[in-house]
Amino acid sequence: MSPTLTFIVRRLVQLVPVVLAIAALNFALLHLAPGDVADIIAASTGGSSVEFVEELRRSFGLDRPLYEQFFIFIGRLLVFDLGWSHIQQAPVLELVAERIPATLLLMLAAIVVAVVVGMLLGILAAMRHRGWIDGVLSVLALIVYATPQFWLGLMLIVLFSVTLGVLPSGGMMTIATQMGWLARAADIGRHLVLPSLTLGLFYVALYTRLMRASMLEVFTLDFITTARAKGLSETRIGFVHAARNALLPVVTLAGVQIGHILGGSILVETVFGWPGLGRLVFDALLQRDLPLLLGVLLVSSVVVVLVNLAVDVLYGLLDPRIVQK
Amino acid sequence: MTINSLTKAILAAASAMALAGTAAAQCPKTGGTLTYLYHPEPTALSTVATSAVPVAIVATKIYESLLTFEGAGMTPRPGLAESWTVSDDQKTYTFKLRQSVKWHDGKPFSADDVKYSIEKVIRPFMSRGRVYFGDVEAIDTPDANTVVFRLKAPVPYFLSVFQPGETPILPKHILETIDTSAAGPIRQSSLMRQPVGTGPFKLKEWTRGSHVILERNPDYWRKGYPCLDQLVLRVLPDGAARAIAMESGEADVAPMSALPEAEIERIAKLPHIQATKEGAEALGPNMWLEVNLREKPLADVKVRQAISMALDRSRIVDVIWYGQGTPATGPIVSGNPNFYNKALKPYVYDQRAANRLLDEAGYKRGADGVRFRLSQHFLPYGETWVRLGEYIRQELGKVGIAVDTKSVDLAGWLKAIYTDWDFNLTSTFSHNYSDPTIGVQRTFISSSINKGATFTNSMGYRNARVDELFAKAARETDKTARKAQFDEIQQIMHDELPVIFLVELSYTSVWNKRVHGLITNGISMYSSWDGVWKD
Repeated sequence: MSPTLTFIVRRLVQLVPVVLAIAALNFALLHLAPGDVADIIAASTGGSSVEFVEELRRSFGLDRPLYEQFFIFIGRLLVFDLGWSHIQQAPVLELVAERIPATLLLMLAAIVVAVVVGMLLGILAAMRHRGWIDGVLSVLALIVYATPQFWLGLMLIVLFSVTLGVLPSGGMMTIATQMGWLARAADIGRHLVLPSLTLGLFYVALYTRLMRASMLEVFTLDFITTARAKGLSETRIGFVHAARNALLPVVTLAGVQIGHILGGSILVETVFGWPGLGRLVFDALLQRDLPLLLGVLLVSSVVVVLVNLAVDVLYGLLDPRIVQK
Repeated sequence: MTINSLTKAILAAASAMALAGTAAAQCPKTGGTLTYLYHPEPTALSTVATSAVPVAIVATKIYESLLTFEGAGMTPRPGLAESWTVSDDQKTYTFKLRQSVKWHDGKPFSADDVKYSIEKVIRPFMSRGRVYFGDVEAIDTPDANTVVFRLKAPVPYFLSVFQPGETPILPKHILETIDTSAAGPIRQSSLMRQPVGTGPFKLKEWTRGSHVILERNPDYWRKGYPCLDQLVLRVLPDGAARAIAMESGEADVAPMSALPEAEIERIAKLPHIQATKEGAEALGPNMWLEVNLREKPLADVKVRQAISMALDRSRIVDVIWYGQGTPATGPIVSGNPNFYNKALKPYVYDQRAANRLLDEAGYKRGADGVRFRLSQHFLPYGETWVRLGEYIRQELGKVGIAVDTKSVDLAGWLKAIYTDWDFNLTSTFSHNYSDPTIGVQRTFISSSINKGATFTNSMGYRNARVDELFAKAARETDKTARKAQFDEIQQIMHDELPVIFLVELSYTSVWNKRVHGLITNGISMYSSWDGVWKD
């Protein structure tokens, strides 16, 4: 087996106890809060009798001792059954599976925006070190970094949807119209622009700063001096020689921040009505829908662990010395 | 001809004309898609398991009940029942059902469906089912198109029970395939997610987290209806984003305060937008400060009156709710034309009088200016309620009542208020519904002092006279006597303040002017919208 493959398999095996531990911790934490889903459901019917609430509790199995509920939960997890959402009245797995593509699409688009734009601006700023472009970019990065995401999202909607009328203000696709797959993909793409920009811009700011610093450091290294001595153009030196080496810290940070981006998607999905996991978890939390909440948290933790694994592999591709060590 | 018979003749002629009008009526324009906005997303497409607003708005387009209603006072009109008669002792209600009505899956609708839905689902498992049908001795179905309800005692509000959102008629042939012995299996049944109703619209597509699409039912019994081809619910969780979608014309309707209070005023002024508080009279949301009467000082009526005078209702309406409401006077809202006691006046904002009352009650200010301390929870429904909590703390502080505000989430709040009774003050609101026996009684009668039951008598309020009046009114067949009973209840509560009545909230519905026919009765957003059309 190649070292890369061994590495991947080892990491996948390690994933099982990590995920189970996360599940147990979540279960314990969520059961610390007073009140339960039976109360919430009873309340949503606008007042109800004690018998009604008790009946709900009994049929949901909430009247059993906590340890029993815990073993039922873990036992189900081992056969990939995430349980039943009493609020949404549907299996948790189905609910999560419905939402996960939307969130992954949004996250992927945001990361691409963040890394690509952040990298380019960072390179640009470093190559024009202490020039006016560097100054403008630094100030812009600072402003974007300090802007709350939901506000940025709303302002983008006001500009592009209300004032200019060029992009849709929310949702993932045009509802209630038939279209071919190509037109549908373009339609989703149009809907994706504003949310992925909103989610990505914050990280653009971060990566611009990081890339700039990293580039400036690489510029002091000997091989750059060698390249200059060979008479290569500054553009080629910056984009080809320095960038690849300066990229490592950005990729590292991007990997670490996957969980963070997933958290940020709650706000962005709320503002844009994007049907993803972030909103599902938020609604579940408000309604004390514990099976759903546990399910989403579990799947999110799996996603984060997997993406981190992918980043590590990518890291190896960028710098083969890392895996071989 | 006596005057009486003349009136009858005129009424008969008028109703004949109305019927003829109905027969000849047709949509001014057919076709089109109506998009409306809401958040949160409905959790089911049937009001059996929950009567939450987002569920009721969509489910009432799919499922129907025996009757429909007209006007703010909710006059019963034919629905699935073509006509009905009430026996002289008001204990037998006979409904003649419409023939040739079909379920969305093509199966014929019959009296068995009515009997089965009420006996197996609505009465045992709908939260108000026992109130509605507790006095039903038997439901007979002499033939496929007749349903007879035999009651143990007269139920004066019995006809208003058959609202589409409250008593939806469900298909027996599908219910039979599920376990109807407990709430769980019914809640989990496919009927909640893949509804089969008789209504003007049927489910086409539900993409969770995004939208629900309903399409025209081509076999709808009301020929030529519905006017619209499609009804689309778009779930937009952010209030500002919903306002923008209305502003840009992307959505047609924002029903029942779907827009945040802070935005309604601005949006309502736009030239293409119409906004109204009408069409929600039969829900009647009433907001109050719930008090725990079990211990001093709140057990003292003077203290409650003082609190009532220390709060400025107009300011709460104007500043906190951006004008979306009116000061409340008692348990029944002024928008209910049949039962509101017009003699009542809201408590006047007068902090000097409040201070005097507190002095009289024996709660002198201490050296720090504080008379006593109270804890306060606020309803965890968002920003507005937090601001209300802050306002109350500020105003009560001025009269020497120190208030500690506690912030908890909904499940924690429900437990603290209704299961543990561990609170002094909390803000909350309740719906009146079209009849006080249904919507008001449960909060104030002493038999609803039950630990663990949500939105009931958490105050621990006991008044034998009030109990007696509510019990009488629940059976009273004489309309004038019944009104007098409710008038007295309102007077007692106005004086005794089992809770501090604050604001009759209003539900403002906002729509694009290209939409017509939305407001037809006291609960218009829960109507079937079969006559709604779009330019």
